[in-house]
Amino acid sequence: MSTLVLDQVSKHFGGVVAAEKVSMQIPPGRITGLIGPNGAGKSTIVNLITGMMSLTAGTIRLGDRDLTTTSPHEISRAGLARTFQNIRLFKEAPAIDNVMGGFHRHEDSSLLASILALPSARAETRRIRARAAELLERFNMTRYASFPAGGLAYGHQRRVEFMRALASQPNVLLLDEPVAGMNDVEANEMGVIFKQLAAEGMAVLLIEHNMRFVTRLCEYVYVLDGGRLIAEGEPKKVIADPAVIAAYLGT
Amino acid sequence: MLQLFIAYQPLIDLFLLHSGLALAQYLVLRAGVFSVANAGLTAIGAYLAAGLTLKAGWPPALTMVLGAVAGMLVSMLLSLPLARLRGVYQAIATLAFVQVVLSLNVYSESLTGGAMGMNGIPKVVSTWTLLIALAGTLYIVWAINQTRLGRAFDAIRQDETVAASLGTSVRYYQTVAFALSGGIAGFYGGLEAFHSYSIEPSRFGFEFVVAILSYVVLGGRRSIWGPVVGTAVLLALPELARPLAEYRTLVYGLIMVLVMGYLPRGVYDTFVEYLYRRRIARMDRAAMAQSQGDAP
Amino acid sequence: MIIQQLLNGLIVGGVYALFAIGFTLVFGIHQVLNLAHGAVFMTGAFIALYSVLGGWPLWAGFLLAMLGSGLLSVLIEFGAFRKLRKSGPLELEFGAIITSIGAGLAIMAVAQKISNTQIMRFPFETMPVVIFEFFGLRVSALQLIMAACAAILVVGITAYLYRTAFGRQVRAVAGNERAATLVGVNPNFVYFQTFFMSGALAGAAGVLVGLAFNSIHFVMGEPYLLRGFVVVILGGLGSIPGALLAGLLLGMMQTLTVAFLPSGLTDTIIFSLLFLILLFRPHGLLGKPEAGAMRGR
Repeated sequence: MSTLVLDQVSKHFGGVVAAEKVSMQIPPGRITGLIGPNGAGKSTIVNLITGMMSLTAGTIRLGDRDLTTTSPHEISRAGLARTFQNIRLFKEAPAIDNVMGGFHRHEDSSLLASILALPSARAETRRIRARAAELLERFNMTRYASFPAGGLAYGHQRRVEFMRALASQPNVLLLDEPVAGMNDVEANEMGVIFKQLAAEGMAVLLIEHNMRFVTRLCEYVYVLDGGRLIAEGEPKKVIADPAVIAAYLGT
Repeated sequence: MLQLFIAYQPLIDLFLLHSGLALAQYLVLRAGVFSVANAGLTAIGAYLAAGLTLKAGWPPALTMVLGAVAGMLVSMLLSLPLARLRGVYQAIATLAFVQVVLSLNVYSESLTGGAMGMNGIPKVVSTWTLLIALAGTLYIVWAINQTRLGRAFDAIRQDETVAASLGTSVRYYQTVAFALSGGIAGFYGGLEAFHSYSIEPSRFGFEFVVAILSYVVLGGRRSIWGPVVGTAVLLALPELARPLAEYRTLVYGLIMVLVMGYLPRGVYDTFVEYLYRRRIARMDRAAMAQSQGDAP
Repeated sequence: MIIQQLLNGLIVGGVYALFAIGFTLVFGIHQVLNLAHGAVFMTGAFIALYSVLGGWPLWAGFLLAMLGSGLLSVLIEFGAFRKLRKSGPLELEFGAIITSIGAGLAIMAVAQKISNTQIMRFPFETMPVVIFEFFGLRVSALQLIMAACAAILVVGITAYLYRTAFGRQVRAVAGNERAATLVGVNPNFVYFQTFFMSGALAGAAGVLVGLAFNSIHFVMGEPYLLRGFVVVILGGLGSIPGALLAGLLLGMMQTLTVAFLPSGLTDTIIFSLLFLILLFRPHGLLGKPEAGAMRGR
């Protein structure tokens, strides 16, 4: 498993600086945190990593592979998965279909087999459906498998999006406020799962506002404000940093 | 029974032909591509097939396949510039393509017979052929539903960005959609040519675009039976309104307005969705009852 | 010779502009393509014709045509588009196209019945055939009237949209309907206005075209609808000055190609142009740049 490395990454929109010379490392086996006040540019970083936005400057590498100018679907195929801050599910599709979407990276039936619905292609669909069902079972969502995703409760929607990200068996998991809107019990359940994934070797980036959550889960934290890194290090140290406190209080 | 069939054969043939064309249109729409280029691709398939048979004496079976190949290739070529456009812009660009094909067709009199078109095309295609063709087309569309193609198309259509973030190459799949749709359209062009004795450019213009699009939107754009149902509705209803034969176009237009107003998802899709919602509601009630039963 | 053609083209372009302005106005505000626009155009011609046949003076017929077309357009909005608005934007996009096509077909069917599928003409005395000559150029009275009408209407619409309170409301809804309603704008009234104006302009164009070619029949709107796409895209979807500019340009281009190139090629050239514009500059001459293309990187 390799480390995801951002080196001097910048993103400018005309005169607006969304990110400026951000350097980060997201190694496998631990949960790295990214925090900062609203509008600091955290989601921008994730968008840059996943190729949804192009970089103005800097590089992004996964191990020895340069992802700076790679297209989003290629980046996904390189083993990166993400969740979205504002939940982007296929609202009208059943929950299970949404989760099945996550397995796309692993589909390998040929085009011809798909067009003619050869047994191999249909078997693949059955396999994927079964694995999606397993995931739903693991997260206690079997009951909602056929429900349209848009009709689910907020917390459940977040879980579906998480399952979708997990389905692709990523090497790097980018979580953009994955427990926002969840109560403490739900959030803690998710936290346990995040820790498990990291223990299994995944590189996890966690963007969150919930400070207790971050302190408990992350071994290393980056703090972003106005697109710039203003602090980094162990959570306890970072939270006590006067610059960080100032950023959050807005002085 | 046989009498009925013979009396309605032209209508049945028309239904079979148009359903196939509607399914081809449905294919691109399903992948999130708003293309109406099929009118032009059908024309290319029709003229190529008829032209090669009439002028070079090649067997219709061969020329129809060639028509399909031509439709597929031109469609794939079109997908390149169209990849940058979305929504109505894509639609208008493909409409422009249809008009260019139409006007070039009329202009190249020596090749295509100009506005008069081609005549004396042997009627090789029977109702049976059309039936088999439709079955084949339905099979392909059903196959897409069962495999990763359908999943990819649906993902791309619903949210391109998310689809890309899941590893789906939008370009690749939309090209596949263009290729399949164009190939089927080209093939059906050949079927039309060898079924109707003659073809002329006006048949593949704006009216064609409107008619085929209507079948799909009216019947339903999600399920595979939607386009077929839409074709049936739009072809059959004016027939049923025989006494109002003079007002066929009026009926046609009003059907379109009313169905879109009350069933915007399409006749068949609305029905499918209704069944789905009922099933979900039932499951929900059952689960509720169960959990209440568990509680003391 | 070329200048004469350009002049002719300018007049033709003025009519294209009238047609296109209404089309783009509706798209800019409601994000829908009203494909019944061609039928409304045709209705204008019909109303004027029947008025004149009924003994009314031409100018009255013209005004009546504008009124009637405007109301017809509003009727279409009310009967066809209004319900669709409630479903999502995607349903609206597709649904609007089919509904407006349906409405157009229905209107044309009625017109066909009324006119008995005949091609009709204005009575001979309706428009005096007077030709003026200056600087070696020939202009007919009809052409002058067409130019004058087009100019007056365009100026009128622009003044209305940019100088009056109502016009401001229309532009507000175009920008952001939700926000506009929050500040007290009644969207239904705005819909009424925009569709009315759009229809009135199309009707006016229909009368002018009916006079110019002296041929009025129930399918006369279709080629104009297709040309309308070209004008609207060339000018930039949603831009009224764009529609004006593009209309004039297309008019000139059309007359030049007809005059100097083999006649069959005119359509090929015009629609190839449309395709190329969409390829390289989908927002046209004066449209907003984010339109049309997607591509994140």
